[in-house]
Amino acid sequence: MINSSNGMMSASSSSSAAGAGGNAPSPGLKTYFKAPEGRYKLHYEKGHPSGLMHYVQGKTATQATVAIVKDKPSPPTPLSQPSSGFSASSGVKSAAAKLLGGSNGSRTFGFVGGNGGSKNLSGSSKLGPFSSNSTNSNLALNFDGKGTYLIFNMGDGLFISDLNSQDKEPMKAIYFNNVYPVCHAFDQDAKDGHDLLIGLSTGDVYSVSLGQQLQDSGKKLVGAQHYNKDGSVNNSRCTCISWVPGGDGAFVVAHADGNMYVYEKSKEGAGDSSFPAIKDPTQFSIAHARHSKSNPITRWHTCQGSINGIAFSSDGTHLATVGRDGYLRVFDYPKEELICGGKSYYGALLCCAWSADGKYILAGGEDDLVQIWSMDDKKVVAWGEGHNSWVSGVAFDSSWSPPDTENSEQIVYRFGSVGQDTQLLLWDLQMEEIVVPQRRPPGGSPTFSSGSQTAQWDNATPLGTLQSAPSMRDIPKISPLVIHRVHTEPLSGLIFTEESILTVCREGHTKVWMRPGTPASQGSSNSETPLSTSLKDKPLLSSIK
Amino acid sequence: MLLFVSQDAHEFLIFLLNELVDILEKEVQAAKDDTESSSLPPERTTNGSKVTQADDIHKEPLVTWVHKKFQGILTNETRCLRCETVTARDEIFLDLSLDIEQNSSITSCLKNFSSIETLNADDKFFCDKCCSLQEAQKRMKIKKPPQILVIQLKRFNYIEQLGRNKKLSYRVAFPLELKLIDYVEEADAVYSLFAVVVHMGSGSSHGHYVSLIKSHHHWLFFDDENVEMIDESAVQTFFGSAQEYSSNTDHGYILFYERDVTNNHD
Ligand SMILES: [Zn+2]
Repeated sequence: MINSSNGMMSASSSSSAAGAGGNAPSPGLKTYFKAPEGRYKLHYEKGHPSGLMHYVQGKTATQATVAIVKDKPSPPTPLSQPSSGFSASSGVKSAAAKLLGGSNGSRTFGFVGGNGGSKNLSGSSKLGPFSSNSTNSNLALNFDGKGTYLIFNMGDGLFISDLNSQDKEPMKAIYFNNVYPVCHAFDQDAKDGHDLLIGLSTGDVYSVSLGQQLQDSGKKLVGAQHYNKDGSVNNSRCTCISWVPGGDGAFVVAHADGNMYVYEKSKEGAGDSSFPAIKDPTQFSIAHARHSKSNPITRWHTCQGSINGIAFSSDGTHLATVGRDGYLRVFDYPKEELICGGKSYYGALLCCAWSADGKYILAGGEDDLVQIWSMDDKKVVAWGEGHNSWVSGVAFDSSWSPPDTENSEQIVYRFGSVGQDTQLLLWDLQMEEIVVPQRRPPGGSPTFSSGSQTAQWDNATPLGTLQSAPSMRDIPKISPLVIHRVHTEPLSGLIFTEESILTVCREGHTKVWMRPGTPASQGSSNSETPLSTSLKDKPLLSSIK
Repeated sequence: MLLFVSQDAHEFLIFLLNELVDILEKEVQAAKDDTESSSLPPERTTNGSKVTQADDIHKEPLVTWVHKKFQGILTNETRCLRCETVTARDEIFLDLSLDIEQNSSITSCLKNFSSIETLNADDKFFCDKCCSLQEAQKRMKIKKPPQILVIQLKRFNYIEQLGRNKKLSYRVAFPLELKLIDYVEEADAVYSLFAVVVHMGSGSSHGHYVSLIKSHHHWLFFDDENVEMIDESAVQTFFGSAQEYSSNTDHGYILFYERDVTNNHD
């Protein structure tokens, strides 16, 4: 007779073994966390307009983009498409007025409005009384909108917040009515007007001018160029979108069916956009559009199943993708070749990011690990272990510089990760310190060597070979410096800016954590009192009897 | 035995497996009795013909297909902190019942399950070598991963203050692919999720069960007599609720993973 293990299990799996960062049932979110370099402080939060959602909950996970709009020496060139939806009469500057405060206050953007409190500016949906049909294109030419904005999607809305303002509600909301914007990207070096890309759940893609959206008082996208209209080229969901760095207006859209398309924003999307059939869906293949007028111009079939994340190296020479099949793939983008890649420990990969120097790629996913892929070694060189659930966002902190050290030649990388465990983790990567256990000789104990000496292992691997999942015993582990529970909902992304760390949760909330030493981090807008009691709360629940 | 839920799906699963083993054992016994007492010529096969080695079975404990599919071996290692002696005791299991935490993953729950626990204070360990109660460290290792890994999420916990069970709606992410460290074969066992029993409802004493089953590369949603095809990505909607008060009451309760034999490289 077999006994169920049920009773026996209870004792050993008691939650007391939960370890650091265990998730207590009641929220105990602190408004600061400490890192070796000092204290990061919650400066403010950004959200979507209250009273939205619920019916859209769970349909999409919020992604966030930071858009830094610089001074533009020349006015934006009007686009090929007439800005038919373009609006904003001379008296209606709506949200744009506020943007100019500080830098260009002398412009003609006096705020005019019946109830001109600053509250009015947040959420353009409240600007209903203003007429939105008269056009005045001169305004567009004068507008520079200099500032830093947070762009994020939630349900069927796309929202824009002024990152330098404390307002919780966004200054601008754009609704797509029953289709969902799921990804977006901003190009701060865009040469002409269109700098913002938006990918939808239907596969449709738009490019627009961010400034133009901010000036418009309506709730619709204005002056948009539409690609893959009604999913005519590919009707699977967009998953991520990116401008090609230095690509002169080229951008890449990844879809849930494993395909990526390259578009050119200057090109009209007219003409036949057909591609040859995919011969072997298990293999990477490139196809160029049959017709020269086609936009998209190229299809990259990368994998079976969804592409969950893409990232260009900062020089635009390499493109990394991660997906449902658990593989990280690295491509030579100009040559359209697969260079290398490897499998997660298990499960899908959800996110990826490059180091600024292009030497390392972070990838995170459903095995709860942050993998560190070395481009020199063409393999995983370390696993970051510390999340209690799936890793949904990774990023290197390119603004971070290590504190004064004696051996300043040693390169140390700082990176962060966020997960569905609601936690933000910060890590230091110092390759010289990582000890790689070599493959065990049979029966022996593991031998060790320094990470840099193990590069010859896989040098014989031919170009484009994907590595199978490493064994748990073969990859060195690193531990986080900081484990901080930042939200009550699973997280979906993080962004490092010069002044702060932004953590984004799936349900559309962003928290801005000021770096130590920044003026705001020493300010008094938030006391150091935790929002509620600490994580020491005793679990209310006793174990099963 | 008290049922945690009026009709608990996990209770039923265990009952079913045990009943199957009983039936299979009786069948074999009957076949054996049959052949022993029978004077029939050997070429005349009976219904029990698959059990031809009746004599061998008599000597060894019967291994039924239930065992072959579901049974794994756990090692309970206890190390006495005084004499350092390690006591290892193997235990067989048909399923794992895991404590859960809010916004965690199956990986994390399994990690907690195998984490080192210190036995001290009122919960000391009797060391045979020291012949006394000693502080010790205890750890559960999965020594032999089963062919089919059944994981029950302990969503129904008894709350002393309430005097009854309460359903935990915690969000616990379960990946489509999972690994267990295989200490015997030195290659980690790869599993694929193929079925989920979902409990719908906010209470522990009522509710409704539905299931998700992967069949011929498609996920099917079974709700009584209704069956519909769902997208693989919809499996995630049964992870649970990230916040305690949520309108979502459909939660993955029992997970079925099958060991992937083709994906067993080096
Ligand atoms: Zn002892």
